[in-house]
Amino acid sequence: MFIYTVKRFALAALILIVAVTAMFLMIRAVPGDPVSIMLGPRATPELKASLIAQMALDQPIWKQLLIYYGGLLRGDLGIDVFSGRSVVEIVFQQLPYTLEMITLSVVWSATLGIALGAYAAANPNTMIDRVAAAISVSFVAAPAFVVALLALLIFAVQLQWFPAIGAGEGFWGRLNHLVLPSFAIGLSWVGYIARLVRASMLEVLGEGHIRTARAFGISERRIIMIYALRIAILPVVTVIGVGMGFLLSSAVFTEIVFARPGIGKLVIDSITTRNYPVVMGTVLVSTGLFVFSTAIADLLNALLDPRARSAK
Amino acid sequence: MSKSRSELSIILRGVAKDPLGLIGLIIVGTIVVSAIFAAWIVPYDPIGMNIPDRMQGPSWSHWLGTDNLGRDTLSRVIMGGQVALKVALPAVFGAMAIGLTLGMVAGYGPKWLDNLLMLFFDTLRSFPTVMFALAVVALVGPSLQTVVLVVMATSIPTYGRVARTQTLTLRNSEFILAERAMGASMVRILGVHMLPNIIGVLGVLAAMDVPTVIALEAGLSFLGLGVKPPTPSWGALLKDGYALIRQTPWLVVGGGLPIILATLGFTFLGESLRDVVDPKLRKNR
Repeated sequence: MFIYTVKRFALAALILIVAVTAMFLMIRAVPGDPVSIMLGPRATPELKASLIAQMALDQPIWKQLLIYYGGLLRGDLGIDVFSGRSVVEIVFQQLPYTLEMITLSVVWSATLGIALGAYAAANPNTMIDRVAAAISVSFVAAPAFVVALLALLIFAVQLQWFPAIGAGEGFWGRLNHLVLPSFAIGLSWVGYIARLVRASMLEVLGEGHIRTARAFGISERRIIMIYALRIAILPVVTVIGVGMGFLLSSAVFTEIVFARPGIGKLVIDSITTRNYPVVMGTVLVSTGLFVFSTAIADLLNALLDPRARSAK
Repeated sequence: MSKSRSELSIILRGVAKDPLGLIGLIIVGTIVVSAIFAAWIVPYDPIGMNIPDRMQGPSWSHWLGTDNLGRDTLSRVIMGGQVALKVALPAVFGAMAIGLTLGMVAGYGPKWLDNLLMLFFDTLRSFPTVMFALAVVALVGPSLQTVVLVVMATSIPTYGRVARTQTLTLRNSEFILAERAMGASMVRILGVHMLPNIIGVLGVLAAMDVPTVIALEAGLSFLGLGVKPPTPSWGALLKDGYALIRQTPWLVVGGGLPIILATLGFTFLGESLRDVVDPKLRKNR
């Protein structure tokens, strides 16, 4: 297990290094010098010169890359061109808003999805199983930002049940502002998770230890709730970890639709103002988050299911 | 040719027997046909402005209303289907071709190349799709081509990994070993003997991938970073509708429903195709 952990994190680190390098080279490969792009056409020569020195653009490319990595290791992602604040500070100020939204989305959709899936597996080919399957497929079909827009239109603009913009103040205010966004992000996950749990549950229910439990006369409800579900939700862990990138992508749109603060809104705002250091910083942090959560999901999976450790 | 045609008709007949597959086939067929003939079936010019008729609700003359420039929403929805397919099809086929080639080489070639390609796939996959798309669009500028390229790059790993796994399981099967013993080249083994066994699974994957691509294009256009105005795209409709959500809410419905329908159609079709092409994969139903 220890060796697997080390290996997995080494792979994560390697992926991050390749990703960062690729992105760094991509920025440098764009036609036009980065300083003029960053500062816009009205920059004075002095301003340009100082930024060139600051960003070490007068050095050869490999040295620039080393300097960039040096900064990265010290937790320095550069400086916001406009406000002069550090990019790390800006990104981590917005990150909690995104994370609370994603977390709430995952919690409600996983709870409902697991319940639906387990119920469907326990009663296969009944009316409820069929209905659950139909709901699953149709929910999977809805991209988060379309759901977000329709939810905004119906529940915020027409019915006015929930606020349309912002993140709210205080615990209840914030929660109230989270309802529609996390509904939009979570909706397509409900069906996905339900199908996953149903399939793995059916598999588990056919296994030996469940048959033994049945032979002991343990009640069906107890078998499902205690013995089977514990194993059947394993794939959900992996899927949520691997789905982090997907969740972050949905978050970008949802934040724009509901005018919520967060890293999605931050990256869009920075793109429209051509604030490249912030764009790159945000993309880097979210890539790191994604790589990290994938690794954690793999490790959890290996911890809970020893067979996964030997498989690459 | 006649052999592959009969195979195709067997597959299509299999799909049409499944009710969900039939629904998928009908939806996808409608979208494709309306996209091909869009220029003839649109009731109005999709980019022609008509200021006196601006911001009208749905009526007999404008079934889905008009936008703030008086453009007919239905015409823009129909034309938008064409744009969606123009992005989705090249992106999906491109990603499939590249992923297939790289994946087969990874599965069949030497171990170091396999490791290198897997690292490449893992890295490409490690960018959250939309974040990656936004970064590229920010650098290169928004256009139809950029969207296609970005979408293609992000879906290569999926195809690559599946093709690799399939190749790995096939590489030690008897008919491949026999080919190798007879001295067949790698290109021949991969192209003539492996490909027909792998392409079906990847085709299913491609059908399921189309909605993801359509949604991504719509998303980027919604953010104003995809297809440029006045080109009608479902995402652009959503963008216009969102900007005036209190005045012209029908634009949000007009842009949103086709995306949901298209997703539904391609997903049904993909799942049903999977059951027909490879019944072994039918375990989560």
